[in-house]
Amino acid sequence: MPSTRFRWAAALLGAALLTPLAACGGSGAGPGDKVTLTYRLWDDQQKVGYEKVMAAFEKANPNIHVKIELLPYDQYWIKMTADAVAGTAPDVFWMQTNQFPEFVTKGVLADLSPLKLDTAKYHPNVVAAYTYKSKLYGVPKDFGVVGLLYNKNLFKKAGVQMPANLTWAPDGSGTLLQVARKLTVDASGKHPDQPGFDPNKVQQYGFASWDHYQTQWMNWVNSNGGKLMDRPFGKYTFNDNASVQALQFGVDLVNKYHVSPPAAQTNPPSDKINEMFKRGEVAMFPANNALLPFVTPEAHFDLGVASMPQGPAGRSVNLNGLSEAVYSKSRHKKEAMRLASYLSTAEPQKMMADQGYIFPALNGLSQGYVDYWRKKNIDVSPYLEESKGTTFNLPITTGFTAFEPKLIRIFNEMYLGRLAVKQAADQAVQQGNALVK
Amino acid sequence: MESADGVRGRVSSPAEPGDARGPVSLAERTSVPASPAGYRRRWLANWYAYLFIGPSLFGVLAFLLLPLVVVLGLSLFHWELLSDPTFAGLANYRRLAADGDAWHSLWRTAVYVLLCIPLQTVLAVLLALLLNQRAKGMRFYRALFVVPWMATPIVLGLVWTWVFDPRDGALNRLLDLVGVAGPNWLSDTTWALPAIALVNIWQYTGYNMLFFLAGLQGIPQELYDAAAIDGATPVRRFFRVTLPLLNPTMFFVMVTNLIGAFQIFDTVYVMTNGGPNQSTEVLNFKIFEMAFRQFDFGYASTLSTLLFVVILAVTLVQVRFFSKRTTYDLS
Repeated sequence: MPSTRFRWAAALLGAALLTPLAACGGSGAGPGDKVTLTYRLWDDQQKVGYEKVMAAFEKANPNIHVKIELLPYDQYWIKMTADAVAGTAPDVFWMQTNQFPEFVTKGVLADLSPLKLDTAKYHPNVVAAYTYKSKLYGVPKDFGVVGLLYNKNLFKKAGVQMPANLTWAPDGSGTLLQVARKLTVDASGKHPDQPGFDPNKVQQYGFASWDHYQTQWMNWVNSNGGKLMDRPFGKYTFNDNASVQALQFGVDLVNKYHVSPPAAQTNPPSDKINEMFKRGEVAMFPANNALLPFVTPEAHFDLGVASMPQGPAGRSVNLNGLSEAVYSKSRHKKEAMRLASYLSTAEPQKMMADQGYIFPALNGLSQGYVDYWRKKNIDVSPYLEESKGTTFNLPITTGFTAFEPKLIRIFNEMYLGRLAVKQAADQAVQQGNALVK
Repeated sequence: MESADGVRGRVSSPAEPGDARGPVSLAERTSVPASPAGYRRRWLANWYAYLFIGPSLFGVLAFLLLPLVVVLGLSLFHWELLSDPTFAGLANYRRLAADGDAWHSLWRTAVYVLLCIPLQTVLAVLLALLLNQRAKGMRFYRALFVVPWMATPIVLGLVWTWVFDPRDGALNRLLDLVGVAGPNWLSDTTWALPAIALVNIWQYTGYNMLFFLAGLQGIPQELYDAAAIDGATPVRRFFRVTLPLLNPTMFFVMVTNLIGAFQIFDTVYVMTNGGPNQSTEVLNFKIFEMAFRQFDFGYASTLSTLLFVVILAVTLVQVRFFSKRTTYDLS
């Protein structure tokens, strides 16, 4: 029966052709119809918190539905860029300091001046990070600070007290190295400053020094008076003397003092160092407080928090603020701005703080975060103290996406001891500046 | 073997009576109708076949051929994703000619292919011979060796990163037991690429074994009996009977594996990210960096074109090599 068969095929074909048309018909929203906004983030822990935030927003705005979209950080910026090109970026999405210049200079982000935010009410670093040509392009959302996580059990076992103030200096003086040595033990129970210590048979390391810019060497550089950049949207300068000294200290902790695991184990893309800390093989681990929800479920020891060590130029830690950006070509700009406006207020920021996810960027709400962690027996107040002192932003300039893998690769060699520190810094600065537009 | 069976079916059809019993080369595989009327008749008789091919044909055109043409076109443009593309003529190709990094990548890719393919193929044949016995539990073992193939390369990469850890990794612990100090696998410029090759060999050997096993089981026993009567030793029987008759399988396995090896990416991405010191920066990884980290789509397309041309050339050489040596008809 070829003719029946043919009719079937025609019917199927017809149905196939009609389906997309029907689907299109659904999205042409008329007045009074519900608008769906997409909100994109990369943190699977915070997603849970934002589900509650969005539920509250939807309740107050019954004509808006917010779809939360989670992308792993590795893919986030690639997908974001591709979406910006295709014109399909989400209406509201998380923005990170070192990606901001690329997106704002290409016109992907909406100017948020219509929201009339009182920027004085937010942490100044976060506001500064998302300001371009004196206009704000991101709702200051939260900040994370680098602090020092430590394993209280290991300190207790070694009979060592965490000093109130850790200090370091390029020549190896200061309390950080002393404490780190006491907590570094090889197979025969010897410490790095004892004769017969075998650096190849270390069973427990005092400190985690590794190739990580945000929590590691950028902090050494700043607390030694070095400079990462000459100015926002400017050039890299971390090959000056103070920076090179600071970088050398980071490398020395590994290769000279042997208080940190060898770079062959910790170099990215490996995340070995996280594992080692969680397994109790490393005593002190500089980390952003946003890492806490990821560390605590797996760390089966008492977790302590201390301030980062003070350098010759004092204490200066990275404070990384995130913001929520509105897509400049959003099809529902009005609703997206409404959501952005809501996210800038105390209600959502307090919700996120009280559930222990983040320090909110809006002033005066941090206590909820501290209280949440106190209930979990972790005193996070050193983080809060740090945020009130000297802090620095990640380099804010164009071309960082392209620079990041190169930077990591060059510094991997430096931490391995195969590339001299000065040479590595020169190479990195030169390659970084070549990518600044 | 799918392809061999398909060919065998066609060979015994009356379309080519002369060849029905003789060896058929690849060049002679398609039968051609004599006249335009013949084409028409065929089309009418087989229209529903085209209907069935339709969806996959659409897939091939839309997701393989079209991107290929687009990439070729893009290689003539400057395009940094967030800004508009501008025509650049052959500028990207001139840049390629002078780009030491790109040629370094091609070289590392070639080294990787040479590390992978010979070892993997020999191992797969040996494994197939071993598992082609009649013994208890053979099905279980055959399945066992295919398991790695089913895992995703990303997960395998992570697991193997632990295995390769210089201090706590299983590999160096084992080497330690026999008194060998293992290298810092993934941060050693000499060992990082072989380490990645090892993971891929481990993953795909069992899968390739399946094809050789099927090939072995298609070889008629009489040929071995005849060879034995002629006094051929087992080794001679392997080289004179088994290996030549495995050629169709070998052709398929070699072509697909070489293409796959040239396109290596995932394990590199997870295990070394191109490092240490660019020693694992294979071409496909470089293309990824150029396109999705530097957003230089024009030049990334040029590099893709280079990879395409290299793969095409290698494949054509294989087609020529095997078409002269392959017998499909074993009946």
